[in-house]
Amino acid sequence: MDNLILVVILPLLAAFLMPAMARTSEVLARVTGLMVLFISIIIITSVWGSVDEQAVSYAIGGFRPPMGIVFYIDQLSLLFALLIPVMILLFWPWNKVTHIREYSLMMLLTASASGLVLSGDLFNIYVFYELLAVASYGLVVAQGRAGKKGEGAALAASLRYLILGAVGSVMMLIGIAIIYTQAGTLNLAHLALLAPEKLNNMAGLSAFALILIGVGVKAELFPVNTWVPEVYGAVSTRLSALMAGLLSKLAVIVIIRVLVLLFPQPEALQLMTILGMLGVISGELVAWRSRDMIRMLSFSSIGQLGLVFVAFSIPGDMGLMAGFAVALHHLLVKPALFMLASGWTGPLESLKGAAKQSPYIAALFVLLVMSLLGVPPLPGFWAKLLIVVNLASQAAPVYQFALAFVLIATVIEAAYLYRVVMILYHPNQGQQASVREKHKAFELVIASGAAVILIAVALQVQSMETKLSSMARQTGDRQHYINTVFSKLDLADIYHQNKVQQTDFRSNNQLQGSK
Amino acid sequence: MSVLDEVFILCALGALVLFVFHRIRGIEKLAVVFYAALLYLLIKMSGLGYGGEVIYSSFSLNILGETLQWRFDAVSWFFAIITVASGLFSAVFMSGKWGESYREKTSNAAYGTLQIALLLNVNSMLILLASGDLLSLFIGWELVSWASFMMMALNPDKQARQAAIKYIVYAMAGAMAFLAAMAYVYGITGSLQYAELAQASAALSNGQIILLSLLFFTGFAIKMGLIPFHLWQAVAYAETPAPGAVFLGAISARMGLYAIIVVLIQLIGLGHLQQIHIPFTFWNLQTVLAWVGALTTIIPTYIALKQNDARHLLAWHGVGQGGYMLLGLMTLNSLGSAGGLLHVFNYATYQAALFMTIGAVIYRTGTANFDKLGGLVTQMPLTFMVMVFSIIGLAGLPPMNGFVSKWMVYRSLLLDGEPLLFVAAVIGTLGTILSVYKLVHNTFLGQLRVEHQNVREAPLSLLIPMLVLAAIMFVTGMMPGLVLDWVASAQLAMGLVPVTYNLGGIVLASGGLDMIWITLILFYGLGVGAIIFYLLGGRAKRVHQYDNYAGGHFLTSRVRYHYSHNFYAGLMHLIGGWYRGSFKKLEQAIVSLVSLLSQLSENMYRSAQPAMMVIIVVVLSLWSISGGIN
Repeated sequence: MDNLILVVILPLLAAFLMPAMARTSEVLARVTGLMVLFISIIIITSVWGSVDEQAVSYAIGGFRPPMGIVFYIDQLSLLFALLIPVMILLFWPWNKVTHIREYSLMMLLTASASGLVLSGDLFNIYVFYELLAVASYGLVVAQGRAGKKGEGAALAASLRYLILGAVGSVMMLIGIAIIYTQAGTLNLAHLALLAPEKLNNMAGLSAFALILIGVGVKAELFPVNTWVPEVYGAVSTRLSALMAGLLSKLAVIVIIRVLVLLFPQPEALQLMTILGMLGVISGELVAWRSRDMIRMLSFSSIGQLGLVFVAFSIPGDMGLMAGFAVALHHLLVKPALFMLASGWTGPLESLKGAAKQSPYIAALFVLLVMSLLGVPPLPGFWAKLLIVVNLASQAAPVYQFALAFVLIATVIEAAYLYRVVMILYHPNQGQQASVREKHKAFELVIASGAAVILIAVALQVQSMETKLSSMARQTGDRQHYINTVFSKLDLADIYHQNKVQQTDFRSNNQLQGSK
Repeated sequence: MSVLDEVFILCALGALVLFVFHRIRGIEKLAVVFYAALLYLLIKMSGLGYGGEVIYSSFSLNILGETLQWRFDAVSWFFAIITVASGLFSAVFMSGKWGESYREKTSNAAYGTLQIALLLNVNSMLILLASGDLLSLFIGWELVSWASFMMMALNPDKQARQAAIKYIVYAMAGAMAFLAAMAYVYGITGSLQYAELAQASAALSNGQIILLSLLFFTGFAIKMGLIPFHLWQAVAYAETPAPGAVFLGAISARMGLYAIIVVLIQLIGLGHLQQIHIPFTFWNLQTVLAWVGALTTIIPTYIALKQNDARHLLAWHGVGQGGYMLLGLMTLNSLGSAGGLLHVFNYATYQAALFMTIGAVIYRTGTANFDKLGGLVTQMPLTFMVMVFSIIGLAGLPPMNGFVSKWMVYRSLLLDGEPLLFVAAVIGTLGTILSVYKLVHNTFLGQLRVEHQNVREAPLSLLIPMLVLAAIMFVTGMMPGLVLDWVASAQLAMGLVPVTYNLGGIVLASGGLDMIWITLILFYGLGVGAIIFYLLGGRAKRVHQYDNYAGGHFLTSRVRYHYSHNFYAGLMHLIGGWYRGSFKKLEQAIVSLVSLLSQLSENMYRSAQPAMMVIIVVVLSLWSISGGIN
């Protein structure tokens, strides 16, 4: 478990060393990046399954929390720690022309993303989040210059992304500052302990709102997501896939951690519901208008992220489970769709009859789209069912509105996705195949892989359900988090210092507290 | 292993084999064998049609704390036997000459795809019919929707493609209404089992019942094409390749009826709906549904009257006939509900036969457009005969089976003291009679067109299923008791009082119906007429088809005359003003609204001041969490 820190350290080192190494040997630098990713994957798979029952915390440098820096490793963070190197590896820029700078940025992305999911205190989360942001700005700008739309559009997109990201970071920082002034600590476990007393007030809620909106920029939260369509339209589909699939989910994970540990107040959840459902409906509405595959997928991604927020805003473990289901499903499907879209650029009308030229790709597209829509028995259906069923059983009226919005959005989604399917299967040929870009092999491999996983999950839906629900239970358990990070001795100390009664918002979590 | 397991294994096997070998010639024969085997398995289960025990599948699935299970009861069996028989007839229809010509026009692969689409439709409908809880019902529901979509998307024609897209939007809206209803059921009862809902429905508040029935009914009504969701169905069904139209037209839309039976009648209970009064009216929820049925018999039928393509005319009728079934079921009494159910069977027989006759006409002439047809009776007499049999059934006249079921619905409405609904149903029937006359007149009567002089009778592979269907229509019309056995068992399974019947028809204290007598008297009358005509009459002169007069003018055989364009001009002069296309306008209005909202959202995403927006949102959020929204 101790070497898990290497998952952050190694890519960080590599990120800084690679440009230097490239001066002596370009090949060595490229290989280093891949090696680091493989090592990360090996490290994580070696500890896989060890936190199923009991999460583990790891104090860096041996300083005990709340003063020291803590890594918190549970099923959620381990899953994402694995997904990060795997996804980066899948979307690794293999071609020779890529500048070494880009590899270096990818490494930085890996390091900061891993740090983000593993960190156990707000300050580190902020630092890693900023690193992640810098890496992604860099990648967008680097990609934008080689973009397809010409430099102007790409530059405008990067600028918008940068401005929104910067404002978002400031918001997040203000939110963290408010939390610090209220509670005097930034360690998440310590905060979780203090939250019922110190953060259960207006100041706390506004801190959450600021963090939600700040981090929401990366998570494609409505309405701070206006960069999404432009950036995805300007950068390569490889990077869009990575951003829509992985980076957005990382930001969501940050919000979920904060929400579960510090702010289980209904107001906080409802704010998220409202922004989520506006995201769902607006994203799908604009996607319906789009006449270009990438743009359509970008807006569909906004809609799906809205759905993720709606799901996570449902109180209780069931909400977390629904959120994980729909987030992971999107993480699987959207990158695959982006991969398919990269060979199908240009106006949708020009794709007429594409299915005749490439029946296999069109069939993949249909399968992915059906899962995205939630057609049983594909996994997307179970995710959607979880959301719908849990929304309907909530009493607060905002959830009923969210339910209506989600369902209406699905109808719109069906309308535009199936319009594309009909265009693909159009009997008349549109643009000639020779004019159109061909799909690259790795794109097809990724999309096929996603399809295989989808079918496998559809067949193994019962065991998936068990896994997700155990992950949700562990993530939603505040007391578990606190007890994992602090030893009994620490706790006694803290109680003594702060004279805090051990109270809890959630009665159902108290049972597991004594573990 | 139960018979139901065997059915599912056979379905899976059939799908697999067809999917692998669909390009190979001769696959059509295998498909026919498949449907025949499926029919054999259903006949093995025929105990269900005579009051047998429910048959469970040994396969079940545990998920989200729910047990998904599949089983067949009398209602499922009743619908399943119609489904599989329709599948078999379609498969036979497309197995011979028709299939060859379709292959020539398209390709082996396209023909194979058509076979796959038909098979998936049959399979998914069996899965739907076998569902044993709300979740499996929903899964079956979605599968049926996507299978029909596949069938509709096969026609490359522009109109057909638009219809398919429209269908998907409607179907998805229906599915989402269903999903929402299901979610509320889960919220209320904590389970999706039928038994739990049936138990809980007794304790539901009026508001909950209204919400649930409205959502469920919307979902199911869209599939059935009931008013006001009738716009999608006719074009979508009519434009599929002929065997697809036969199958979809005969049974596919009835899945909506099946779901209404299962959820609204069996689980929520019509008695329950009856207790809920609509404020400021004399109506309760059940009467509202009955009126939806009544309006559905009228409006689509009169839209059918205006169609100028035989397939569209029939498909619009299909929408209208659904209204009779719903109307029958909503009467609540044993006679009316039996009539509604019996109509499902009867309707399937003649709708399938009608689509087959039109398929045969298209096969021979290449068109179903009324302006380009006429006088085919001399060339295709057997096809003509089948069509006449079928339209007698569709119009609900004796001695065909359609008469029996419509009589039962009318009779129960009168007995129930619902004269207005009765009148509405009769108006619907009037429209049916008018339009089926238009159908048979414009295709088969009048003078033959020059270009059709060499048209021959439909090939045997097309004729056989048509003639068998005609025979079924006649036999079950004369002896409705054969089918009423199944209907009565289905009624028992639905929790209704079964109708009292005998082989010849209905036994009723206030005057029953005996079709054997009616048929005998009809033939007796015809026989007497024939004797008078042929033996006692004067010398008869054979009149040639071209030997016609119009307005006192003799028409030479060089000028072919057939009045088909703007048929019923006089009638349209009277009622033409009623066709306002209000529902179409409503549909367009909704599309425009979505378009407007979408434009507004896009403007938001194009905003030039993203940072400003963040700040505005932060302020609004802070305001909202500080209690602003409450």
